[in-house]
Amino acid sequence: MTRASSGPAASWVEHLREGGTTPWLAWAAGIPAAGDQGSRQVLPGAQQLELLRRINLAGGTAGPERRRLADRVLTTSAAGRGKADLPLVGLPVPGFGPAPVDPAAVGAHELLRVASVLLADDLVALGADPVRSRWARPWRRRYRLVGDPVVATSLREHLRGLGRPEGGPRPFVVALGAPLDDLLAHTWTQRCFEHGSKPWAEWLRFWRERDQLPARADLPDSVRRWGARRPFVRVVTDVERLPRQVGVRSLPPVRVPGADQAELARRVAAVVGLRVPAHERPALMRTLQRRIPDTGTAPVGVPEREHAWVAASAARMTRTLTRAGYPVVGDLADLAPRGPSAAPTGADDEQVLDLAIRMIVDPAWRTGKRPGKQVER
Amino acid sequence: MSRRVLLHVGCPKTGTSYLQDVLFRNQSMLREHDILYPADRFDAHFLAALDLMTLPWGGIETEAVGAWDRLAAQVREWHGTAIISHEIFARATPLQVERALASLGDAEVHLVLSARDLVRQIPAEWQENVKHRSHVTYARFLETIRDPERGSRIGSWFWAVQELPDILERWGSSLPPERVHLVTLPPSGSDRGELWRRFSRTFGLDDLPLDLTAERENPSLGVPETSLLRTINQRVTSIIAPPDYRPLVREVLAHQTLSRGVASARLGLAPDDHAWARELSRSWIAVLAERGYDVVGSLDDLVGPEPGTFTDPDTTAADQLLPPALDAISALLVEAARLRAVEERLHEELREAHEELERARATLGHRARRKVVTTLEDSPAGRGTLDAYRRLKGRHRT
Repeated sequence: MTRASSGPAASWVEHLREGGTTPWLAWAAGIPAAGDQGSRQVLPGAQQLELLRRINLAGGTAGPERRRLADRVLTTSAAGRGKADLPLVGLPVPGFGPAPVDPAAVGAHELLRVASVLLADDLVALGADPVRSRWARPWRRRYRLVGDPVVATSLREHLRGLGRPEGGPRPFVVALGAPLDDLLAHTWTQRCFEHGSKPWAEWLRFWRERDQLPARADLPDSVRRWGARRPFVRVVTDVERLPRQVGVRSLPPVRVPGADQAELARRVAAVVGLRVPAHERPALMRTLQRRIPDTGTAPVGVPEREHAWVAASAARMTRTLTRAGYPVVGDLADLAPRGPSAAPTGADDEQVLDLAIRMIVDPAWRTGKRPGKQVER
Repeated sequence: MSRRVLLHVGCPKTGTSYLQDVLFRNQSMLREHDILYPADRFDAHFLAALDLMTLPWGGIETEAVGAWDRLAAQVREWHGTAIISHEIFARATPLQVERALASLGDAEVHLVLSARDLVRQIPAEWQENVKHRSHVTYARFLETIRDPERGSRIGSWFWAVQELPDILERWGSSLPPERVHLVTLPPSGSDRGELWRRFSRTFGLDDLPLDLTAERENPSLGVPETSLLRTINQRVTSIIAPPDYRPLVREVLAHQTLSRGVASARLGLAPDDHAWARELSRSWIAVLAERGYDVVGSLDDLVGPEPGTFTDPDTTAADQLLPPALDAISALLVEAARLRAVEERLHEELREAHEELERARATLGHRARRKVVTTLEDSPAGRGTLDAYRRLKGRHRT
């Protein structure tokens, strides 16, 4: 634990609070360290200090707002079981506790542990966006969406806003299919924006080693769970023909979060789980899903080592659906995976940190217009 | 307003589960003596610790929302002595310590840290890692914690909860040393009641008629049992989610089955590691002696036992793994049979509910109404008519 009230550490903290961007080693080179001894003030960890410096580098607010943000960063604990708050290299150390570090060398993973808490607190303070809805149209087609969770979640909300909510007596069970590698990626991505999840690679490994598919990616099982009889099932692989299956002429395009957005959401969801009751987390996380800024990063992809299992699972799923004889809108051959991607299969921590800092600095995602409240009723 | 708060922050593997169980089961009696142990469930203070330290913990953390603030509020409102106890508080950062102490109001805070020698703590911590899904070998674990960088999750956690001078500096630096109580665990082979007597004296529980029956402990495992569990983890950690691992592996296998192998060799340290651990302990003792804390027991207890026979858990032979493996299989089969019985009972209840429903639907009137409804539902106009009818009847549903 480092304490300081004067000397380089204390003045560096003040420099950062004022929006400074000088790295610690450059700052400390010009000031003697003696004054940092003997005070009772706790110095924030290198993680908090370096994150604040990066936030300052990214620009953003000025004046009292900046100081408020700086104080929040400096007093926010890192989430999870990572490193303890790290002392600064070059200061007197007591001979025990974590090894001192140069803050500039602290990895993005550690900085994200602090940034995710800041964003989670922002999200909790913002609250969940109201869900847009209308009186249910009596003549609407009854449907229930299963399958691709990103698409199903987005369309469910859209259709509810049109007065065509899911459910009702004897609904058509509309199973949204896609190439299985996409379906798995979308399933993990949507989990990140609901309850959180394991990291993408671990999550895939979990299912591969079990040789099972997660519930929402397993189309035959999803259909069975709703107990639908064959004439009331539609397996849709052709998205162009999806609108008719839910009783509308057209549907808006669905925004699939990029790998960095999903990874950041995964980390934020873990903290939100400690801030609000479990049943409130999905609505908050879906609010984040609607508001998270675009970065242009591709969604996660299935890595090469998992591809054989994904292909075998897709073939098994296709056989099961064929044997069950469910009506298909499109072609079951489209459930076959696209194949291993040449692009990176996930986001690296630096990309995720860049997005997190952008969201901390620029409050537009919080202050932007909320979706309309109930249009009718 | 509490007059006094006894804040017990660690360390893990120092008899804390037993202490917390005694306090939890004797809450009413303690209240009669003006001592508050505020807990509506046995792990209430664990949840408070997760909340205070923003620690996700395999999904349990969702039950911890607001737990620290609720606990602190109860403590502030109490007129007598309040006790807070959980071993993972030891890991709190200086900022979290500041928040915790500030939230306790103006009470006279006493910090309690129970501590055991590193020679016994190191193997115990490895075992604890293994009981929490890890399959790190003992050799790798030792290498990790001896790395001065402490860069790994295991290393940073181990020292955060075991490095006595650092824990006491983080938690106790704002308190006068006489209000920092270091309870040392007696050496191996001491009278079994001695640790409780030290706790009892520190927490002011002497002469209270407490029920001291051991209902909840965190038992240790022998070498072959730990080795088996680590091997099992290698196979299952990636495919068994934490909510399933906790009841099936940690409870049924580790605590209820493998911990019974009391005749098995106990885990210790190899000579080189033993010498390193004792030397480090001596350096800590020198620091602690200078600080003037209230030591309950003796700082010499922290030096640790003399070297004994070392049994390496990374090289346990297959024939030594076989007996605990058979115990594990039979315990899991018994558990599977119990769960099958539960499943069968639930199926039976569901069957009965279905039969009742069918009987209710078997009337002529119900069949006729059903026919009308299914016919109407096949056309948009019919669905509109049905919706209008249901709204009129006040039982519209989507």
